[in-house]
Amino acid sequence: MEESSKRSEQRKEMEKERKKGEKKRRKEEEEEEEEILIFNHKSAEKEKEDEDLSDSEDSVFSGLEDSGSDSEDDDDDDEDLKVDQNLSQQEEEEEEEEEDVQSSLKKKDEEEEVKRDEYEHDSSDEEDIRNTVGNIPMEWYKDFPHIGYDLDGKKIYKPIRNKDELDDFLDKMENPDYWRTVQDKQTGSDVVLSDEQVELVKRLQRGQFGDVNFNEYQPQVEFFTQEVMLHPVTNRPADKRSFIPSLLEKDKVSKLVHAIKMGWIKPRRDSRDDSRGRYYDLWASEDTSNLARHRMHLPAPKIPLPGHHESYNPPPEYLFTDEERALWEQQDPVDRKFPFVPRSFSSLRLVPAFPRFIHERFERCLDLYLCPRQRKMRVNVNPEDLIPKLPKPKDLQPFPTTQSLVYRGHSGLVRSISVSPSGQWLASGSDDGSVRFWEICSSRCLKTVQVGGAVKSVAWNPNPSVCLLAVALDSAVLILSPALADRQVVLSSDRLLSAPQEAEPIEGDGLVNWSDTEGEELNQGIRLKIQHPKAVQQVAWHTKGDYLASVMPDHSSHLQVLIHQVSRRRSQNPFRKNKGLVQSVSFHPIRPYFFVATQRSVRIYNLVKQDLTKKLHANSKWISSMAVHPGGDHVICGSYDCKLSWFDLDLSTKPYRMLRHHRKAVRSVAYHRLYPLFASAADDGSIIVCHGTVYNDLLQNPLIVPVKVLRGHVITHELGVLDVTFHPTQPWIFSSGADATIRLFT
Amino acid sequence: MSQLQARFFTENKKYVVDDVPFSIPAASEVQDLSNVINKLLEAKNASHTTVEFDFLVRGLFLRTQLSSHMETEGISTEDVVEIEYVERLTAPEPEECMMHDDWISSVAADSEWILTGSYDKTARIWSVEGKAVMTVAGHSDVVKDVAWVKRDGLTSLLLTASLDQTLLLWEWNSERNKVKARHCCRGHTGSVDTVATDPTGSKFCSGSWDKMLKIWSAVPTDEADEVEEPGDRPRKKQKTQQLGLTRTPLMTLSGHNEAVSSVLWCDSEEVCSASWDHTIRMWDVETGEMKTTLTGSKVFNCISYSPLCRRLASGSTDRHIRLWDPRTKDGSLVLLSLTSHTGWVTAVKWAPSHEHQLVSGSLDNLVKLWDTRSCKAPLYDLAAHEDKVFCVDWTESGLMLSGGADNKLYTYRSSACQMDVGA
Repeated sequence: MEESSKRSEQRKEMEKERKKGEKKRRKEEEEEEEEILIFNHKSAEKEKEDEDLSDSEDSVFSGLEDSGSDSEDDDDDDEDLKVDQNLSQQEEEEEEEEEDVQSSLKKKDEEEEVKRDEYEHDSSDEEDIRNTVGNIPMEWYKDFPHIGYDLDGKKIYKPIRNKDELDDFLDKMENPDYWRTVQDKQTGSDVVLSDEQVELVKRLQRGQFGDVNFNEYQPQVEFFTQEVMLHPVTNRPADKRSFIPSLLEKDKVSKLVHAIKMGWIKPRRDSRDDSRGRYYDLWASEDTSNLARHRMHLPAPKIPLPGHHESYNPPPEYLFTDEERALWEQQDPVDRKFPFVPRSFSSLRLVPAFPRFIHERFERCLDLYLCPRQRKMRVNVNPEDLIPKLPKPKDLQPFPTTQSLVYRGHSGLVRSISVSPSGQWLASGSDDGSVRFWEICSSRCLKTVQVGGAVKSVAWNPNPSVCLLAVALDSAVLILSPALADRQVVLSSDRLLSAPQEAEPIEGDGLVNWSDTEGEELNQGIRLKIQHPKAVQQVAWHTKGDYLASVMPDHSSHLQVLIHQVSRRRSQNPFRKNKGLVQSVSFHPIRPYFFVATQRSVRIYNLVKQDLTKKLHANSKWISSMAVHPGGDHVICGSYDCKLSWFDLDLSTKPYRMLRHHRKAVRSVAYHRLYPLFASAADDGSIIVCHGTVYNDLLQNPLIVPVKVLRGHVITHELGVLDVTFHPTQPWIFSSGADATIRLFT
Repeated sequence: MSQLQARFFTENKKYVVDDVPFSIPAASEVQDLSNVINKLLEAKNASHTTVEFDFLVRGLFLRTQLSSHMETEGISTEDVVEIEYVERLTAPEPEECMMHDDWISSVAADSEWILTGSYDKTARIWSVEGKAVMTVAGHSDVVKDVAWVKRDGLTSLLLTASLDQTLLLWEWNSERNKVKARHCCRGHTGSVDTVATDPTGSKFCSGSWDKMLKIWSAVPTDEADEVEEPGDRPRKKQKTQQLGLTRTPLMTLSGHNEAVSSVLWCDSEEVCSASWDHTIRMWDVETGEMKTTLTGSKVFNCISYSPLCRRLASGSTDRHIRLWDPRTKDGSLVLLSLTSHTGWVTAVKWAPSHEHQLVSGSLDNLVKLWDTRSCKAPLYDLAAHEDKVFCVDWTESGLMLSGGADNKLYTYRSSACQMDVGA
C-alpha cells in the first residue's frame, strides 16, 4: 500500500507538470503518459485508469492495445504483437531493459515528429515509416528540397525554413521552449520535447533507468539454495549418465594407473614432507624443558577411600572394643589409627552431623598447600669442583718434606742464617753474640766467632770467588773471612779487603767509619768493621759481591740505607728523603735495581738513573721481609699480618697473589736459586714451602701451589721461625728459630 | 686348617733333613717351621741342640704366615713348596765401644786393625779388640775419610783425607808403633770427602767437594812432585804446613756437577763415584773417561760395591738404600729399594763375605743389618748409637763397625757371621 501512495504522489506531480504544459497538447500528452505508464507496473496502470477513466481493467498489456486500437490500422496488427513481445521481454529480462527503453524513446520522438497523424504508423522501431529513405546520412538530401519519400513514394518536402539568424535569435530569446526544441533530421521539422521526455533524457544522461518506477534492486528469488525444497525445481528425471559409470573416465583412469605403475608419472609428493625440509622448527628443542617440568610434577595426594570403619553401620568386628577405645583415648591424636571412633547406627537417618568436618577439610587444605607439588631439582655442586685445578704437590717434586738435620749449638735465638754459595757451609748469627759456621752435610759446627753483640743479620757474599760473610750487629757491620774455602778463594777475598788503602781518605761524610780489626778479632777472622751511626738491622750483598747494603730503620731520618763498596771502602747514602721505615732491602740479581721495602710498600729504584722505577703496594700493614726472584721479575713479601704477597713486576704493582696460610706474623721469606720454590717462615713455628713456577711467556701467570708445611721449631717467647733460606743447589731449606736451633729440611 | 706340601733343604750339611715332602699347616710361621726342623733333626740325631732357623721360599725370607707369603708372592699352593732353611742370624750385639775425642767421620777396617778418622783432625788406629794403638795427627782440619792402602808385614800404608783439601799418605810400623807422613797429596780445591784404594794397592782415588775425582799413585817414593805454587803464598805458612813430600795427582776425572760424596773401585780399572748431583758415574781409570751414569733423584751420600753379588748399594738423603746393577748401560734402573731408615743414609757397606748382607748407618742414630732376600724390613736394627751415624764398615772377619756423632765406635758381632766365616 505504501507503493500505491507513492505512486499517487508521483502522479500528482505529473499532473502539475501537465498543467504547466501546453493545453493543446494535453490530450497527446495524456496518451503519452499512458504509454509511458503502460511500460510500468500494472498497479500504476490501474490508478491511472481510475483517474483517466480509461476503459480497461484487464491485463498489463491491455492499455497498449487500447492505445493501439485508438489509431487502429490493419497493417499494424503484427507490430502490436511485436510490442507485446518487447514488453514481455522487458518483464522477464530486466538486464536488457536499457536498449528497449531507448527504442521506446526513439519511438516517442517519432511520434512527436509526425504529430498526431503520423502516430499510427509509429509502431515499428526498425524502420521509420514516415520516411522511407532508411538509415542513411541525411546530408545526402541536403541539396534537395525534399528529405525523403513516404510510403507512397511521394516526396516529403522539407518544412519551409524561412527563419534567419535574427529570427532564430529572437525565437531563442522569446520562446520559452526553445531549449527543448530539437530538429528531427528525418523530417526536418522542429519538435518541442515534453517535460516527461526531458526528464527521460536527463535520467538517461545520468545513467539511470528511463522508467522512474522501475526498481533496479528487486528482491531476488533464490531457487537453487541449500535449503531442501519441498518440491523439485525441475521435474526432469535424472540423466542416465548420472548413474552409469563413464567408460571414458574409466579408460582415462586405467591409463593413469598404468602410467604410475610403469613409473612414467611420479605421484605428487606429500606436501607435508616438503614443508619439513623447508621450515625450521623454532620450538623443537624447547619443549623438553616443558616436558621436564611436567615430568617433575607431583600429583596432589589423594584422600584415602572410606573403608568399613567409616560405614554408618559397620560389621561388629570393626567397632571398637573397650580396650581399643581406651587405647584410642589414651593415644596422641597423631598416633591414632583412626581420627574417629567407628559407630553403628540402625539407619542412615540417625547419623549425626560429622563433628570433625571442618577440621578434616582444613587438614586436607593443608595437605594440598603444604605438600610439595614439584620435585625439587637440587643442584649437587661438588665442593671439590669449585677449587681451581692445581697440580698435585706430588707432581711438583722435588721440594723439602722432612726434617733431616738439626744444627744445635747456639744458646740464643738465631736471628739470621746464610748458606755459602758453594752449598757447603751455613753461617748463622744469634742473640748469644756468636756467629757460627756449620758443615751442612754433617751439622757440625766448625767455627764459632764471638762478635760481642746480638747478631741481627748475616749474609754470605754471593760471589763464589770470594769467601766473605757480612754480619750486622748493634751499630756495626763486620766482614768476616771464615777461611772455609780454597786457598785461592781465601787469598782473593783477602785481596778484596785489603785493596783500598789508598782510597781510604776519600770515604764520605763521616757517616760511617771503616776500620781494620786487630788482635783477637783478626784471629777470629773478622777483617773489617764498618761502624754505623745507628743500629743496623740487615745487610744484603749485591750479586757481584762488591757492594753491600745495610739497613738502619729509623722513622725520623733519611739515613736509613747505606750502600758500601767493599773494595774501595766507600759508603754512600742513596736516599735524600725519608719515605718510611725501611724494613728490608735487596739488590736486583741481574739489573741495576735496588728494592727497598718499607712498612706498606716496596720501592724499586734504578741505581743507574737514580730514580724510582716502581712502587709496589702490598696490601698488608707491615712488611717484615722481602725476597727477589732469581729472575728478577718477581718479588715476595712477608708481613706481620700473616700474609705473603707475590708481586709480578711485569703484571702490576698490586700483589699477583696473596697467601694467607700462616697463623702468625711472617718473619722471613726466601726464593730458591734454581728450583721453582719459595718459602715463608712465621711465628707459628711453621715453614710453608710453595711451588712457584715462573714462565718466560709473558702471557702466562706464575703457578703458585703451596706444597708443604714444615714444622719442627719449638715456639719460645712467642717467636717461632726467624729466618729461612734455601740451599743454593739442592731443594733443601734451612730455618733458624727462636729455640736456638737451625733445622735442615730435605 | 689347610695343609701344604713342603720339602725342606739346606746348604748346611750339619742340618740336613730327609728330602721328602712334609705336610705342614698353611698358617704356620717361622717359629713353627723351625720347631718342625728341630724335631726332625732331633729324631735323626739325639744329641742335637735346638737351633733357630730362618726359612727362604724361592729366595725370599719368610716373615709372615706361610700361606699369606705364598699368596703375596704368587706361589701356587697346589705344588710341593721348596723351602730352604738357614741357621738364623742371631742379633748382633755391640761388643766393643771405642771412645773418641770427637765425632767419628769415617772408619776403615783391616783384618787386624781399625782406622778411624775423626773431627778432631786426627786419625786413629785401633786393634779389633778395641785397644787404641795409634793417633795419627797431621791434618790442619777435620779428617773426612780414611783408607788402608797396603800391608807389608809390619808396615802398613794408610790414607787420610781431610777438609784441609789434602790427603796424607802415612806409613805406619805396627811393631815400633811409629807413623810417618810419606806424602801430602795436594791438588784438590775443596774438602776431600772420600778416598778409596784400588784392589792392588798401587793407586788410590779421591773425591772432593770441588766436584773432581783425582787418581793418585799410592806407592811411596822419596821424591816430591813439582807443585805449582802461587807466587804470593807466604813461605812461612808453607813450611809449617808441609808434612811429607808433596804429591800431585796422576789423573783428574771431572764430570760431576756437584760435590763428590763417595768413591770406590769396582775393579782395578774402574772407579765408581757418587755425587750430590744425583748421579753415580763409572770411570775408566786407564783412559780417564766416564763410562756410564746412573741417575737418581736425590743426593747420594755413599755407595758400596759387592764383588760377590756385583751390586752397587747407594745411600741417599731420601732415607732409602737402593741397589743398582753397575753394568747396565743406560743405568737409572733401581733393582731394589731398602726402606726403613728415617733419616739420611750416610753409610752403607756390603758384607765382605756374605752375598746378601749389607749394613747401613743413618742420621736417625740407627745402624741396620739388611739381607737383600728380605727387602721389606731389615734383619736387625742396631740401636747402640746416641747420635748420628756417619760411617759403617765390616772387618774381614765379619765384625760390623759403626761410628758417629756420639764419639763412639761400636763393633758388633753376630753368631752367624762367625759361622759363615768358619764355613
